[in-house]
Amino acid sequence: MSRSLSWKKGLGLVALALILISYPKLVDSYFLHLSVATLLAMIMACSWDILARTGQVSVGQAGLFGIGAYTAALLYQKVHLHPILGMLAGALLALMVAIGLGYLTLRLRGIYFSITTIAFAEALSVIWLMTPSITGGAMGVSTPPLFGGNREHAYYLILTLFGLVLLALWLIESSRLNFAFTAIRENEEVANVMGINPTRYKVLAFAISAFFAGFAGGFYSHYNTYIIPYEVFGLGISIACLVMPIFGGLYTILGPIIGTILIKAIEEYLRVTISYGHQIAYGLILVMVVLFMPEGLIGLYKRRILPLWGRGTES
Amino acid sequence: MTLLRVENLTKRFGGLAAVHHVSFGIDRGEIVSLIGPNGAGKTTIFNLISGVYSPDAGQILLENESLVGRRPFEVCQKGVGRTFQIMQPFPHMTVLENVVVSALFGRVPKISMTQARKEASELCRLVGLGEKQGAFPRNLTVADQKRIEIARALAVRPKLLLLDEVMSGLTPTETVEAIGLVRRIRQSGVTILLIEHVMKVVMGISDRIIVLHHGEKIAEGPAAEVTNDPRVIEAYLGEHIEDLEEPPC
Repeated sequence: MSRSLSWKKGLGLVALALILISYPKLVDSYFLHLSVATLLAMIMACSWDILARTGQVSVGQAGLFGIGAYTAALLYQKVHLHPILGMLAGALLALMVAIGLGYLTLRLRGIYFSITTIAFAEALSVIWLMTPSITGGAMGVSTPPLFGGNREHAYYLILTLFGLVLLALWLIESSRLNFAFTAIRENEEVANVMGINPTRYKVLAFAISAFFAGFAGGFYSHYNTYIIPYEVFGLGISIACLVMPIFGGLYTILGPIIGTILIKAIEEYLRVTISYGHQIAYGLILVMVVLFMPEGLIGLYKRRILPLWGRGTES
Repeated sequence: MTLLRVENLTKRFGGLAAVHHVSFGIDRGEIVSLIGPNGAGKTTIFNLISGVYSPDAGQILLENESLVGRRPFEVCQKGVGRTFQIMQPFPHMTVLENVVVSALFGRVPKISMTQARKEASELCRLVGLGEKQGAFPRNLTVADQKRIEIARALAVRPKLLLLDEVMSGLTPTETVEAIGLVRRIRQSGVTILLIEHVMKVVMGISDRIIVLHHGEKIAEGPAAEVTNDPRVIEAYLGEHIEDLEEPPC
């Protein structure tokens, strides 16, 4: 929980930022598209991890993602709201839904909350299919390409959002929220007796998480130009949201990012070699990680690699 | 002057009355011990005061303000700090961070992170964990883990401190140190209610003793008076009579 950034780290961050900013000039359109998809997945992974920091496992991030996606798409379709404002509206609606849902369900613990989140996403999907006159139903909603199909601009937009996620994570880690989230995760009863209102902080984490998931959803609908309920509310997104951080390492900033990059790379490779290969890979990775490296890649690095350099195992 | 007033407190678990019409008061600056055989309802009373359970009947007043129906974090912020019988430090936080948590959230009005770290560090030194602030709880002895519990409870600046068996399982030397610590805490103006099985500690430290048996209060008063009470002796017969007869050292 150290908060100070050393100048070396700062320099590294500046260099990384420069690379990320000049990136679109360096790669072809295919890689740029892949990078946008990866950044989007990273945002989802980080948003899931924010809630996970309070010990709550959401299996319904797709619900929030879908709310954002449909809000942005429908607002464009009905009133031609600017895509970025639509995404913001989607993010805010997801946030409000999360607060409402959170106050109802975050009093539940562990598995019960997880089940509720699955039900939440699935219920939304069903509602969408049953109200085609408002939502487009199974036919979905389509929007014109974002920024007239300019992928570079899309890349910069999603990069900005990713930057905001990192900023939010850094603010959480350097504030009292980190203590509240960690304490609740490690022992909710004790945290409560120490003066922490568990429900309030869990709802707060869920709201922050939902804001980014909703924004990501809004971006997805405009970038992809076409959304259907099965996909944006689908279990596939919810599962991806939890596999990536678990693979990389929970409750860290770097873990979900590394996990996402590796999984996206594996996924893209398998997509072209074996059909449905990436879905099998998700399952395999999840099983292997839970069995052999419960703290993810970051944990593995701290436990096995750092000691080789003569450093301690404690963070 | 009364700090805590408990009136007709009752808590049932199913058909069993764990606490049955218990009343007592604690004055500011006192050290009061709650004793009784296993299952007498001592920890239940702590859980009722700190809001972990809500009572089926009765009243709990802290400075004439009711604590009944308040949730644990509210009770904490009203000025009640407590320790747990089974030590429950946050395992992935250092000793210092464990204490920082209570300093950050248990205090009203809230204090800054810097201030919380400073106070937590001072408390670590006070309870004798000065050298071990950066250690993780699992690497500490039972005695040190109990010190974390005490430091965490103190970090909320309690008016009333509830200590649940902080001296059981300690070596004689550690016990003596712990008694010294409890006395120092009282001198700093904190009122203390403690549950203890080690009779020599109870006898040596308490201004008053409250004896519970089967959820009911059977005696209350100064140590010498209580230990000669026939009902108390009867309650302990065959169970802890050896403890009672053990000469205080």
